[in-house]
Amino acid sequence: MAVETDTDTGFGEVSRLRGTVFEYLSLGASVVGLFALAALLIYVFVDAFGLSTASPAWLLTYFLTLVVPYIGFCLYSISDRAFTRKIALALGGGLVVTAVGFTAIETLLVSIPGLTWQIAYLFLVATPVVASVTFVASRQPLGAAGFGLVGRLVGGAALGCAVAIMFIVIDRPLWFLVYTFGVLPAGGVYAYTSRREIGWPTAQATLVGLFGLGVSTQLRQILGIYPSDGLIYLWTLAVPLAAGAAALVTLRDGSRRAVAGVAVTTLLGGGGGFVLGSSALPTGSGVIIGAATVAATAVYLVEAVDNEGRRGLLLPLLIAGGALAGAAVVQTVGIPTPEMWLTPAYLTSAPSNEAANAGLYPAVVGSIIIIAMVAVLSFVLGVGAAVFLEEYAADTGLVGRLTRLIQINIANLAAVPSVVYGLLGLGLFANLLGFGFGTAVTAALTLSLLILPITVISAQEAVRSVPDDLRQGSYAMGATRWQTVKNVVLPEAMPGMLTGTILALGRAIGETAPLIMIGAATTVFSAPAGIWSRFSAMPMQIYAWANYPQAEFRYGVVAAGVVTLLIVLLAMNGTAIIIRNRMEREH
Amino acid sequence: MSDDAVTSDLTRSNGFTRIKESGYGGVFLACAAVTLLTTVAIIVTLLSDALVFFSEVPLTEFLLGTDWSPNPRGRGFSFGIVPLVIGTLTVTVTAAFIALPVGTLTAIYLSEYATSQVRAILKPLLEILAGVPTVVYGYFALVYVTPALQATIFPQLGTFNALSASLMIGIMTIPMVSSISEDAMSAVPDSLRQAGYGLGATKYEVSTSVVVPASLSGIISSYILAISRAIGETMIVVVAMGSQANMPPIRETLLGIPYINPGDVLFESGMTITVSMIQIAGGDLTGGTLPYDSMFALGLTLFVITLIMNVLSDLIAQRYREAY
Repeated sequence: MAVETDTDTGFGEVSRLRGTVFEYLSLGASVVGLFALAALLIYVFVDAFGLSTASPAWLLTYFLTLVVPYIGFCLYSISDRAFTRKIALALGGGLVVTAVGFTAIETLLVSIPGLTWQIAYLFLVATPVVASVTFVASRQPLGAAGFGLVGRLVGGAALGCAVAIMFIVIDRPLWFLVYTFGVLPAGGVYAYTSRREIGWPTAQATLVGLFGLGVSTQLRQILGIYPSDGLIYLWTLAVPLAAGAAALVTLRDGSRRAVAGVAVTTLLGGGGGFVLGSSALPTGSGVIIGAATVAATAVYLVEAVDNEGRRGLLLPLLIAGGALAGAAVVQTVGIPTPEMWLTPAYLTSAPSNEAANAGLYPAVVGSIIIIAMVAVLSFVLGVGAAVFLEEYAADTGLVGRLTRLIQINIANLAAVPSVVYGLLGLGLFANLLGFGFGTAVTAALTLSLLILPITVISAQEAVRSVPDDLRQGSYAMGATRWQTVKNVVLPEAMPGMLTGTILALGRAIGETAPLIMIGAATTVFSAPAGIWSRFSAMPMQIYAWANYPQAEFRYGVVAAGVVTLLIVLLAMNGTAIIIRNRMEREH
Repeated sequence: MSDDAVTSDLTRSNGFTRIKESGYGGVFLACAAVTLLTTVAIIVTLLSDALVFFSEVPLTEFLLGTDWSPNPRGRGFSFGIVPLVIGTLTVTVTAAFIALPVGTLTAIYLSEYATSQVRAILKPLLEILAGVPTVVYGYFALVYVTPALQATIFPQLGTFNALSASLMIGIMTIPMVSSISEDAMSAVPDSLRQAGYGLGATKYEVSTSVVVPASLSGIISSYILAISRAIGETMIVVVAMGSQANMPPIRETLLGIPYINPGDVLFESGMTITVSMIQIAGGDLTGGTLPYDSMFALGLTLFVITLIMNVLSDLIAQRYREAY
């Protein structure tokens, strides 16, 4: 092939062959791992959703009612003829290419187990097309409004679920008393004193709060009758959430009607959840989920209805309508539905030895509780250490030497295998300090130490990226070092620190080996009752099920667990990326 | 504390402010000290139980013994680490066969050939490979990779085998090699490349004969880190490789030179250092027994190996770095 022949310059001939081969070889190497992972992910998704049992008619129905309208919405919001033509070509051409290519491979070469050309089309053509139109549309006002609303709905509900799950392990009557006699008065005192500028607001509020805490712990032992969980949540969570959302709206545009509307709808959301909570959801959880979802969307809607892309707000209706229409068609025509493993029932029921009844609920609860504790611990420790290393450390003297030692030590800690951290948790927390084998506390402490190097390093980067002029400006105003850290460095570095911590939490949520070492249970049949009780976590449950020899477990139940874990991870990393992008846009 | 003489002199440096300031400084110092305490705690925890173990089992027996059975089988315990080392080496070497060349080529592509757009897409995608939980990789290896290999290339493959576990570890460690190597290659100054082109070299020649040698220290340190990661990898191996501490049969060639057939270790179940720790932890955790202490001896071994490799990688990166 290409040997350059037009070299009459006397430099001799240069073969391009070797270079070209090398370039494509290295390109191939860069994507080979990704292709391998993509293939495995396709298989695990197909297994989790039982797509190999889906009839082509079922796939077609939902493709037409859900995917096509969604792509249509994105294209409408982009409204670029050339782009629309390109997407249509990709969808149509992809259909032909996949159908012909897949059939040709199957008949001529080897049969591909577990896949049909329709599924291949779904993953190889439809998914990338949906991803790319979503990406482009999210930069248009219409699409941004729609995705923003969907994001608030999903995010609010997810956050509500997480909070509701955390309240499982909290003594709810005590929380009710502490909120009523401690948190609420302390907040009132803080608001009043800081508004009137009298005394030290923080100190006075802390005093009141501590007094209230003392009173409520005493009362908890005396009082015997408490409101139901739903009422407690309504009073301690939905009401402050409504007030907070209303306050946020006042800050933004100060319209009284909007404020009242937000407060009322949020309360209604909580109340609606109350009704729902008595029927479908576990007691009281509905209140939290309802209030969180409504508050998040209401605050967003107040602003978005005035924006230019407000027609995009119909996107959730489009999606819900599409899903309902698809279900209606499937019902009336009588199309057989595939055997899905990842269903709502799977997420809300306990593990079982029968594949059909097996669920992930206790493991999900365990994971969320551990991650909540790890988040608090590692964020506080990581930020504190990073601030010391970046703001307080010196180059010389004792502190300088200490700083260098800490820095080298952090780099080495990051390379210690996770199973060794498990031994640390076993020897120190479980055996020596007596926190118990396989309790949530032991697990949270162990995992916090495990991800501490990552959080410290990322928080350091965030602190370092704060421009030095801001610090100097603060010092020039006569601020002390702590005041500078508190008022300038931490607020500026906060998004970066949050991003780093969330990414590190993603590592913690998938860790299994340390949990096995501290004696976490592989299978727990009920959600943990407190942070001192034994628990299971999602990866532990996957590990336990992976050893089951039955095909329903191997290819069904475990696949559903794996997909759940991956979706949680994706959501966490997605949140981190959104925070990072926001931050980059602001600077 | 090195007090901030320059800055705080300008402020109200009365007694209360000073106390408050150093109080906050102390809190931050305490947070940073937790990282140091973690290391100390790891070493003390590992050593205290490992020393108990070594008072019962002599070090030579531990390091040279060829039988690993921490659960009494008939006549008692036996703690010889050699089969575990063989298992770990098998997995590590096989994973390195994938991760090192692929990772290096990826780094070369990203730093020399890729346009900035392609790089902006490929780099975060490659990080995903390291972000997937290891238990998920283990499940993939057991449920998808092993049957696929059995159906195509290696029909003699066991249900639990070292090969598919190593393949997954190899894929997982690709981004480790590629990102550190790429950083090193991007740090090579452009003037070196231009000099290469000036001498009439092609892009291929510049990449392989100028950029790679100039960034060799970074590349090698990335190799060491990736290998250290593969040695400490646990869940992939536990799920996909099973847990049988086998000694491979030692065969002899015609000339009487003993060798180990790679197929004997790759296609069969095996046990690594990490797996044996997990296996013991599945049984008895209350402490005071010999198997319990043996976990800490194994952990100490693992900790020392990874620490040495980490320090080595640091030294190479610093010592042989070309200063530009």
